[in-house]
Formats: sequence, C-alpha cells, structure tokens
Amino acid sequence: MKKLMFLFCFIFSVTSVFSQQNAITGNVTEASTGEPIPGVSVIIKGTTSGTITDFDGNYTIKAANTDVLVFSFVGLSSKEVAVSNRTVINVQLEESTELVDEVVVVGYGQLKVKDLTSSISTVNSDELQKTPAGQAMQALQGKVAGMQVVSSGAPGDSPTIRVRGIGSYPGSNNEAPLYVVDGMFFDNIDFLNTSDIASISVLKDASAAAIYGVRAANGVVLIETKSGKTNQKSEITYDGYYGMQVAQNVLKMANAEQFTTMAMESGSQTAIDNIYKAMQRYGRSRINPNVPDVNTDWYDEIMRVAPIQNHSLSVAGGSDKATYSLGTSYFGQEGILDMKNEYERFNLRSKVDFKATDWFTIGGNMIFSNATKYSQESSAWSMAYWAVPIMPVYDELNTDAWPTKYASAEHIGYRGGQNPFAAIDYNNRRMKIRKVLANFYAKVDVIPEKLSFKTSYNHNFTSLNNRDVALPYFISTNFKRVDATLTKRSETYSNQIWDNVLTYDDSYGKHKWTVMAGTSYRDEAYDMLTAQGVNFPVDQEEAWYISQSDLANIPTTAVRDGGSRQYGISYFSRISYNFNDRYLVYGTMRADGSSKYQEKWGYFPTVGAGWVVSEENFMEEIDVIDFLKVRASWGRLGNDKIQASDGASTTNVVTTSLGDILYSGTTTASTFSSLKWEVTEETNVGLSSRLFNSRLSVEADYYIRDTENAAIRVKIPSTGSSVLRNVGVIRNSGFELALNWNDEITKDLSYSIGANISTLKNEVRDLYGQPYIDGGSAEFRQRSMVGEPLMAFFGYEVAGVYQNEEQIQADPVAVANNLVPGDFIYRDQNGDNQINDDDRVVLGSYFPNFMYGANLGLNYKNFEFSASLVGQSGNKILNRKRGEVIWTPDLNMDADLAVNRWHGEGTTNSYPSSAALRKGWNQKLSSFFVEDGSFWRIQNIQLAYNLNGKDFFGTKILNTKITFTADRPLTVFNYNGFNPEVANGIDRQTYPIPATYTIGLNVKF
Amino acid sequence: MKLRKYTIKMVALGAVLFGASACHDLLDEPKENTSFTEETDYTKTEDMILPLIGAYAEFNSRGWEDFPLMSVRGDDVNAGGLGDQQDFAEMDKFNYNKDFWMYNSTWQNLYADIFDTHSAMEQIELYKEFASNTAKADQYIAEAKVLRGWLLLQLSRVWGDVFITTSSDPSDLLVLDVASKDEVMQHLSDQMDEALPYLPALRPNERVDIPGGVTKYTALAIKALANQELKNYQGVADATSQIISSGKFSLEADFYNLFKIPGKLSSENLLELQASDFGQSSGDMVYYEFAALGPQGWSPKVKGADGGWGFYEPSLKWIKFMLDRGEETRLETSVLFTDRGIAEIKKDPKYTSLPAWISNTTPSGDVINDFSRAMFSSGKHYLPSDQLTPGRTRYGSNKNMIAIRYAEILLMHAEALVQGASSSAMTADAAVNTVRARAGLSNLSGVTLEQVMDEKFAELGMEWGIRYSDMVRLGKYDELSYEGRSFSEKLTFLPYPQNQVDLLPNLGAAQK
Repeated sequence: MKKLMFLFCFIFSVTSVFSQQNAITGNVTEASTGEPIPGVSVIIKGTTSGTITDFDGNYTIKAANTDVLVFSFVGLSSKEVAVSNRTVINVQLEESTELVDEVVVVGYGQLKVKDLTSSISTVNSDELQKTPAGQAMQALQGKVAGMQVVSSGAPGDSPTIRVRGIGSYPGSNNEAPLYVVDGMFFDNIDFLNTSDIASISVLKDASAAAIYGVRAANGVVLIETKSGKTNQKSEITYDGYYGMQVAQNVLKMANAEQFTTMAMESGSQTAIDNIYKAMQRYGRSRINPNVPDVNTDWYDEIMRVAPIQNHSLSVAGGSDKATYSLGTSYFGQEGILDMKNEYERFNLRSKVDFKATDWFTIGGNMIFSNATKYSQESSAWSMAYWAVPIMPVYDELNTDAWPTKYASAEHIGYRGGQNPFAAIDYNNRRMKIRKVLANFYAKVDVIPEKLSFKTSYNHNFTSLNNRDVALPYFISTNFKRVDATLTKRSETYSNQIWDNVLTYDDSYGKHKWTVMAGTSYRDEAYDMLTAQGVNFPVDQEEAWYISQSDLANIPTTAVRDGGSRQYGISYFSRISYNFNDRYLVYGTMRADGSSKYQEKWGYFPTVGAGWVVSEENFMEEIDVIDFLKVRASWGRLGNDKIQASDGASTTNVVTTSLGDILYSGTTTASTFSSLKWEVTEETNVGLSSRLFNSRLSVEADYYIRDTENAAIRVKIPSTGSSVLRNVGVIRNSGFELALNWNDEITKDLSYSIGANISTLKNEVRDLYGQPYIDGGSAEFRQRSMVGEPLMAFFGYEVAGVYQNEEQIQADPVAVANNLVPGDFIYRDQNGDNQINDDDRVVLGSYFPNFMYGANLGLNYKNFEFSASLVGQSGNKILNRKRGEVIWTPDLNMDADLAVNRWHGEGTTNSYPSSAALRKGWNQKLSSFFVEDGSFWRIQNIQLAYNLNGKDFFGTKILNTKITFTADRPLTVFNYNGFNPEVANGIDRQTYPIPATYTIGLNVKF
Repeated sequence: MKLRKYTIKMVALGAVLFGASACHDLLDEPKENTSFTEETDYTKTEDMILPLIGAYAEFNSRGWEDFPLMSVRGDDVNAGGLGDQQDFAEMDKFNYNKDFWMYNSTWQNLYADIFDTHSAMEQIELYKEFASNTAKADQYIAEAKVLRGWLLLQLSRVWGDVFITTSSDPSDLLVLDVASKDEVMQHLSDQMDEALPYLPALRPNERVDIPGGVTKYTALAIKALANQELKNYQGVADATSQIISSGKFSLEADFYNLFKIPGKLSSENLLELQASDFGQSSGDMVYYEFAALGPQGWSPKVKGADGGWGFYEPSLKWIKFMLDRGEETRLETSVLFTDRGIAEIKKDPKYTSLPAWISNTTPSGDVINDFSRAMFSSGKHYLPSDQLTPGRTRYGSNKNMIAIRYAEILLMHAEALVQGASSSAMTADAAVNTVRARAGLSNLSGVTLEQVMDEKFAELGMEWGIRYSDMVRLGKYDELSYEGRSFSEKLTFLPYPQNQVDLLPNLGAAQK
C-alpha cells in the first residue's frame, strides 16, 4: 500500500530541476508530535521549482547554496530555511495559530477574514458531516446566527432556509437564498452529498452579498466543493454511516372512547347515529359497552422505523502543478411513512486544476448527481389525523372492496371513506432527478501575482422525470378510483453562466488593495411536457407507459407543456483597501440586466469600513484582547426570484361542451402584473474579536434590512384571484451574537463551547397607501398591515368560554348571537358591545423573534464528544388541522382537544364544547387556533473514537474513526401538533421529523 | 516573445469582454409560453368566436356551492347534509354567517365570470373593427351580455344591492358604489333590450354554430325575470308574450326525462349549463357537480355508480303540499325518497297511507338507502345510473343543469296577468293549464294569484331559489317561516362576505 501511495505522489509531483546544483535531502516532522509529515511542499524561494515530501516525510531537492527553501503545509506555519552550504536540512513545522490569515470566499474571489467588513459565517465539512441527512443545509440548523433552517422530514425534500427573516412576500420560493456552488447559481443544493462539500459560507449582510446583485436579497450561501491542494499527498477517504429514523413527538389523537364522548356531546344526531352504526358493524367494547369495539391509532398504523445510510469514497491530492479531487457517494433514505417513500442518490464528482504554464491555469469541475425519489402521499398524514378511531384498518365485512378489504367510514355513516391506506397503497410517485454541474475555467496571470484574468463557464443541466401513478381500487361507493391514471411529466433546466473577472492585487508601503471587475452573462432555459394516460395494465410496472394505456381516450386537456427562458447580463466590480492593517475600506457595485421584468436594469452598490482597533498602539497594553475589529456596511440588493411578470394582458385557452361537442375558446385576463425590481437595502454594524489568547471569539452584528417595492400578491376584488404588485416596504432587523470558547487543558483533554443567539423583528413599514393587504385563504386570514409582521394571522381573540346561562343573559353579545354555555367569548377590542369584523386583531406571526443554538465539544485522548442544541421562540402556528372542522365535522380531533373540551361549568375557560366546535361562531379564525410555536431541541449528539495507528492483530490500523450519532433525539414544545417546524406557519399535513440514530465509520489512507 | 504573449492575452481579454456585452438585446425577450393579448391578430375574424366560447366555458363551469347557496332558503327545500357545513344549514334557517366560505366563494364565482363576459365583449369589439360581417360581432357581444345578465341577476337575488360592473377590470369596483337591487334589475332589463336586436330568433337547440347558445328568447326570459323582481308585471307580460307568440317553445312531454339525458337541449329549455362526457367511457369530460345534491347512500342499478353528498333535501312541507294536490308525475320526478323519509311522512296522521308508487326505488330502478344526513334528495338533479355512459361513474355526469325553461315562462306570464298586466299572447288560464296538463292535472279556470303561485311551487320546486324569490317579492314571509323557522324582511339578503368587505371598503359602508 505504501508503495502505491508513493507511486501516486510520484505521478502527481511533476518536478523539473535542471540547473547544476547540490542535492539536498532532509526530513520534515510535526513539532508537537514528532511524526513525519508527508506531502509538505518544499520550494526554492522566488521560483516555482520544488518537490514534496514522501510518505515518511523525506525529500530530495537540488538547490544552490544561496537559495532559501520554503516548507509549507496546510494548517501548519510555513518555514523558510537558507541552504547555506548544507546538504541535509531537517525541519520541524509548527501548528499555525495565526487564524487571522484564514481566507474566506466572497464571490468572484476571496478575502482574508481579517479584512472583512461584512458579516459572513462559514461552516466546514467536519461540522457538516456530523448530521446524518440527505441535504447538507440541514446540518446548518442552529449553527449560523440569523439563519433559520426549517427541516423537512420527507426523504429528498430540502429544508426551508431563511437568512435574516424574509424580505419578500412568500410565494414561489422567492424567499430562499441564492446558492452558489463553485460559481454556479442554484435554487437549492439538494443534489449535493454532504461529503462533496468542503465549506458552506453564508453571506448574511448586504455588503457581503451585493456582489451577487440581483439574486442576493435573501442572502447568499456559497458552497465550495472539495478540491485537492497543491503538493498534497493523495488521500483516500471512506466515510459512511447507517442508521434508523424513528418518529418523535407523535401526536396523540382522540381514542375511540374520547371520540365517542365528543360525538355524544355534539348535539348532532348524525354524529350520534354514526357511533351506533359503528357499534352495529364492529360490536361494542367489552370494557366500555357504550363505545364501539374498535380503537384505531392511525398514526401508529401508517408509520414505520426507516433506515438511512450514506457511503462516500474520495481521493484528493496534488502536485505543484496540478490538484485533483474525485469522489463518489451513495445516499439512501426511506421515509417513516409506510409506503413506497424513499430517496436514493448516487453522485460522482471530479475537480482538477492544472497550471499549464507559469501564467496560465486551467481547471474543470464536474458533478453528476442521479437521484430517484418516491414521494410520499402527503394527504396520508392529514387523513391519519382526521380518520375516526372507531373504524378499523381492515374490514372483513367489506366484501365488495378490492384489491384489499380496507374499511370505509362511509359504511358507518360518514361522508368520506377516510381510511388513509387508500392514499398510501394506491399511489406511486416516482421522480428521477438527474443533475450535471459542469464548470470550466481558464486563468491568465497578466502581470504575475498582481493582475489576473479569469474566465469561467458554468452549466447546470437538470432533468426531472416524474411518473405519477394512481391505481384503481374500490373500498366503498364514494371511496374508489375507477380509472387508473398515469401522469408523466418531463422537465429540463439548462442554466448557463459565463463569468469574466479581472483581479488586481497590489500594495505600496502601508497601502494594500485588491480591485476586481467583471462581467457575467446568464441564460436560464426551462422546458416541460406533461401528458396523462388512463387504463393501462396496472399490475405490471413495466407497462406503466402512456403508450400502453387506452389511447382512444387520452384526455386532451391533460396534455400540457410549458417553458421559460430568461437572460441576465451583469457588470460588477469590487475594491478592497487596507491601510496599515488598521483601516479597511470596501466597496462593490453591480449592474444587473434581466429579461424577467419590464424594468430591465438594476444597480446594486455597497460600501463597508472596518477599524482594527487592536492594531492601534493604545491597545497594546490590553493583553486580554488579541484582536478587535469594528465594522459597518451598507448595501443594496435585488431579488429576481419573484415570478416573471407578464407585463401585458394575456389570453388563455379554455374548453367546454356545447351540444355534446368539445369547443375551445379563449379568456382574456384584464389584470396583469408589471413589476419593477424588488430592492433591499441593508445596514449592518458589527464587531469581531478574539480574547484570552484567542480562546474566546466573539462575533456580533446588528442589522436593518428594508425591502422596497416588495412584490406583494394583491387580491383582485370579487374574483378570488390575485396579482403581484410592487406595493410594500418590509423591514427585518435583528441582533446576532456568536461566542466560541476553545481551550486545551492538557495535551489529552481539550474542549470547546459555543453559543449563538439572534433576534428578528419583521415589520411591514409601508403599503403604498393601503391600510392592509390580505393574504392566506378567506377562512384562515393572514393580513399584512403597516407596523405588523408580514402575513400575520388575523382574527378574534378568545377571552374565555361562556360557563353558564347567567353569564349568557348578562352579555348582550351572547344574547344577540344566540350563544350557549361552551361557546367562546371573544374580546370586544373596540368596546362597542358587539363582536364584529372590527374586533379582529393580529394574532401573531410565523416568524420566530428569537433563535438560539449552542454546542459543546470535548476531546479526550482518542474520544471526541459533541452535542448541539437549537431553539426558537415567538413564532405562532396556525393549527389548521383543528381549524378545518369548518369544512366538515365528520373527523377525528387530537386528544388534547377532546380531553380538555368544555363540558360543564368550570371545566375549562379556553376550550369550546363539542357542540360549539361545530358552530360557525366558534369556527372564526381566533387565538384558539393560533398556537405558540416555540421549541428547543437537542439537535445532535455524537461520540467518536479514533483508532489512529493502533495495532490490531499485528497490523497497523489506518486513520480510522468510529462514530455514534443521535440526531434530533429530543424536541420539547407545547404546540398541539406533530412537529413545531412548520415553514409557513400553517400546519395542515406536516411530515413528522424523525430522530435518527446512526453508526458511522471514517477511514483515511 | 514577451510582447506576443501579452498581445495574445489582451486580444483574448478584449474579445471576451466585448462578447459578453453583445447580448444586451436578449433582455428584451418576452415571457415564454404566453399568448399576449396585444399580439392577437384581430383581422383573423374567424377567431372572433373564441372569446365568446370562453365566456360560455366560464358560464358552464359553476362551483358546486353556487346553486345550493342561491336556492336553499326557500320552503321547497332544506339544507340536508345534517351535521356537516353547519353554516349552510344555519343559512337555511336564516342565521347568517358572513365569514362562511360558501358566501365568499359564490360571490367570487359569479363576479369572476361576469368580468370574463366583459372581457369577451371587449375582445369581440376589437375583432369587429376588421369584420366584414359586423352583425356577427354584434350578435356575439349580445350573447355575452345575456350570460352576464343571468349571472348578475343571481347575484342580486342573493345579496340585493350589488355592483353593476362596467368593464373587465375588477379594480373598477374599488371606486364603485353598490347599486340598489331595483337599479340592478332595471339595468338588466335595459341590457337585454340592448342585446335583443342582434340575437337570432331561434330556439337555443336550433342553433348550429353554438348548440344550446343564447338566443333572443333567452334575453327576453332574463328581461322578464328582471321585471318580475321589479314588480313591473306589464314588463313581464310583454317579454313572456314574445316568447310564447314565437311558437318556438313547447313543454317536454316526459317531465321525468326532461331532467335526464333525453332532456338535454330540449325544446322546453331557454338556457342550460351544458355538460358532456362526449359519449366516451373515459377521457375529456365537462360536468356539473350534481353530487352535492344527490343522496349519500344508494344501491344503484348499475353497480359502481357514485353516490352524492346529501346537501339538498326537498322539504316535508313541499312533499305534503304535493301529496295534498294528488300530484304524481312532478312529485315522483322531484323527490328521491328513503325509507326513513317515508316513515317521517307517515308520522303525520294525515299521511299514514301513501300511494304505492312512493318508495325508495326510483322509476329507473335505483334504490336510495337511508342515510342520516337527509331524508330525501332532489330528483330533478338526479341522473339514473342506467343513463350514465358505460365506464363513467361520476354522479350526474353528462347531464345538463337547466337554468331557464319554458314552464317558468308560462307561469311568470300567468302571474303577471293575474297581477293586472295584459297580453294577447295567451291567457293566464291557458298558461297554467298547459303546465298542469303535462303534470296530468285537470284544467282550472279563472286562476287566482294563489293558484298560480301554488302551480309555480309545484312545477319549479328545488329550482334556482325561484320559490324563495317569489315569496320575498310577494311578502309572504309566513310561508318561509316553516318547520320552526322564523323569517322577516331584514333577512331577505345575505350579508356581504367578510372577505369582500375587507377588500372593498364601499361594500362595508353599504352593509352598515
């Protein structure tokens, strides 16, 4: 193996030494451990000739006596040694403590962390890999102050990400940040395996993000995929885990007894009759003969423990001319919903950079991702919530049913069949997702080390093939599917970006500057074709093709296509200036042209300044502070995620029947959108500091972000439709603080503690003259009002429950509305002694106003332990599962509601009676349905054991680490639902978020 | 050597930078997959019919909630659906909840289509400029006007004072005040007068270009309805006289099948919401959602046919009224009985023995089972399972929803005459007796207002809230105060939907 390794090193270490010089040999070791370091770059200063150390840390180089050798290795301080007539030079390298020299990618280049004037948070691959998840962004939950990650439990689905609140009216994913993967723009990064990623940087403030101009308003997330490093020995890494997902916090539903009690108290003869019908059909319970002898826990029936696994293999290394990183990975996850619900992804990647001449570098990067997702049938979750517990899963009496004898609630008098197994068994939804990201660049050093030009071309090609199969079944008269239907949908995205960047880097005396200017051209094309077939051979999956279906009867209206094409042209520039490492000035400017809107061009400037206080002479006395920088920035950003505006009236084709003939006609909408750029302006002030010998680091920021011309969906009166108009100003402001403490107590024992908090205030500042704009549905109103959060829940405030007849008689409101004990008392906000629409108030917002995260790390000898915690508070959730009683009261309810119902004077002052629940008066959107969404959670606990160089049965074990992980093992909240993570605050059918327990292995050789 | 290297670099750089900026005109590319109205070729006048077809398409596709909301408050029908959609049942009892979704939804469904008819008129107007045959354009505009008239008539019957739209732009409503119900009805009458000269003097089923489309007589019918609401009985008599005198219309002999497949585009119908499965066992289908009105439990003769939801229950009052009159044809056609319902009738000592034909088996052989939501279902909105196209199972699919039929014209005519109007087209007696004859009833002579209204009750029960409008118009609130209900004048109209009040401040002001 060692020889093989050496061969690798040899192949990639292209050395070119021709001059007549002495051969110098030596050995490089690490100062702290004395271990030899392979792959150290040894270069003759001022030239490009050099070599790297072999597996045992040895090197040979030819150099003149006057030369100086430079030894460098990532993570260690470089060392320069003069040859001075020696032929053997042994060197010890020390660990680099100069964190200030860290660089961070900033978009079209990189900057030193100490030169930043803006707010950027970076998470590296070690941290990402702790979270067993298909989507890398999931690993960022609680890690970055100011960034909200709302998990999705469904396999293959991306979490919802919000950077510093939302500045854009929620709609078609227009609140999501921009993802830039090695220069290419993406809407999400769910195609990447966590192991493909070297680092994720979140550009939080406008100053950092503005270089991405039009796409940057919701924050920018930069992803660097793994690459090799120059003069690095090849490293082969296997990383993998296998584990199980277990549903957590399963909501307790009313059981048969509680449900029966609710029905009996409902005052509805139909509801009572249905209980008796259930008794007739399924018998009476022997324990309580007034309850049917069925007690189905539907959630229990539809869930399972599901496996999750990931395996990745990668090779990385480099010589002084070329670097490379190649890898392959497999990720597989099954859903906890007991149906064909899974996600599998196979990835290949390669990244190669090659220095062709001393002034010309060329490189290519290719990622291929091939995934198959079997989507859940999400309605199963709501059906399990609503299905009555007095019905079994299977019903042998239901002899007409096929292919399975499932029970139907219709047989016991309810309108629908309710059984969630119809949705689970008779749907098959497959999506094949194939993505290719190809990226090539050429870089020319016009003036060596000073002026360089880079042109890069990125192409992201995505193909989505969707096959939705609905299989026929019969359970009861109105709970059946006669025609099997097959819907196919093919979509392709072909997005291209061509960037040209000129960078000038120079210094003069105490002045240092970097100037960058560039252009970017974007072309985004989308195509879609969909068609539907009916009545194909349902039993053979290989026949699930439209061509195999009843061709004479393909619904013509189900054949559709679609497409879009958008172009963008941008010019941008950046200046970063540093005087004496004390005073920092920063500025960028971007001009963006887009074909998407009627207003074609937008201009996005930013400025920033920093003062490194700790470099000042007067600070030398203060030993505690190692580094202190205060910074401020201002910038403007655009958001072009808003759906393209028509800009003019459009005509649509409609069909109808006249005299049994299918006619096509047209309708013309007179209302259309004509949009300007949504512009975000942000001011950020902050400080970065390291104290106590760099053991404590502090990052604090305060920001105010205003979105002007916010495109808000305005309802068109009397038609039920809506249109986007630039009619608002939305402000997000908040404070962020991140603290990290690292210490090494002994050589064997070190620890770290970190915490971050962030606040968020979301506020509508202006609606261009309108008092409010309504959103949400008419029955579950969300209203945006000046001075209140965007899309706040809007309704009545429950002040209590009428307890007795005297109370009713004493209250004119109760008398006027024919109320009875058990009905809600609403607060008369304006004191006019009646309850009407003027008494509606803001009931809360779905944005958390406080988020926090904390982590702890402990290293003891070969053990590593880490734990992290996240939480949020201040957000509200509309418990729409409860609220949907307005459509039909035929359904089950959660146990909390059934147990705590009002059922006599003094029983409760906050829950309605069973009869009240069915009355319109109590079904108005009120504070009863809007609940506190606060939660905290133990996000991740990991224990790892390193088997570094241990002997095992006589052989030396490779660099091996075994990990045990519990991801999201405990969540604590009061909300009456499955899961407090509801992205838009409306809980209808949320996928429960499982806890994941895994065992993992990491081997390097 | 060095110079050459620089030159190469600079030329490459220049080419790249120039290349990038050469694509600026791409920014002006329009949105894909969109037909911009401004790009419509209005000289292609054969396309002039497309906007009109579009208007018919919107008219034909009604939300299921529209009809029950318009109709349920009469004493001919109850909410049914007991224990579900409680505020629908409350509305039946005149307890209104403006937050209830059906109010808002129906309001929106009707107004959205009204704006579509405006839009069609505006588009046809643009074609008209280039049309060699402007009469065609005028006819199409007149047709859209009539469709709009019917929609606005329904809105005003339910909500009273509503907006009179003037263009396809809904934002007009923001500055508009609501018009009183009388203003709306006068407006409709005038609109129909405007449309009349351009419409063909045909029966809808005689039309070839648009089978079942609007004709002169549809416009006259809507004019009559509007004048009836205005209590301008001479206006009613004049409009109905023209329809009657045309001799185009006749009552369908088979009353039962008028409401089934054979009754599609019958010579009795002046306006229908058309549906079809095009005779195919699967594939395209345009349907009216009759399921809402059908029985929740049944054993259809043709196995596998879908049942209904049980939201529309003929009232005991109406059934007993029909039994008292000795009606068979119309009662059997209008009501689907269940055993439970029959037992409920028999509980009244007056009706302990019922005719043998009253059973839970329909004349077509479908068996209606007991279900707790309702005791009866609507027969006029029921399609026998053996009339479904084989392969189709949706309740009532392929059946048209009749909006205006000749029997209503005859009875409006008769009422107008007994209210004092005059006409030479037909006497009140003759009009009433024509309707009675089909129902197998003997002739009356010297009909009174009460007899005409009873005839209307019997003939048009369960149809479009006709009964409710009649009772409100005639101030017969005691009739509406039946089976425990208590009606008064202030309950005539539904409150405006809260969602619309929030969007349209003028509506809120009008409500107060």
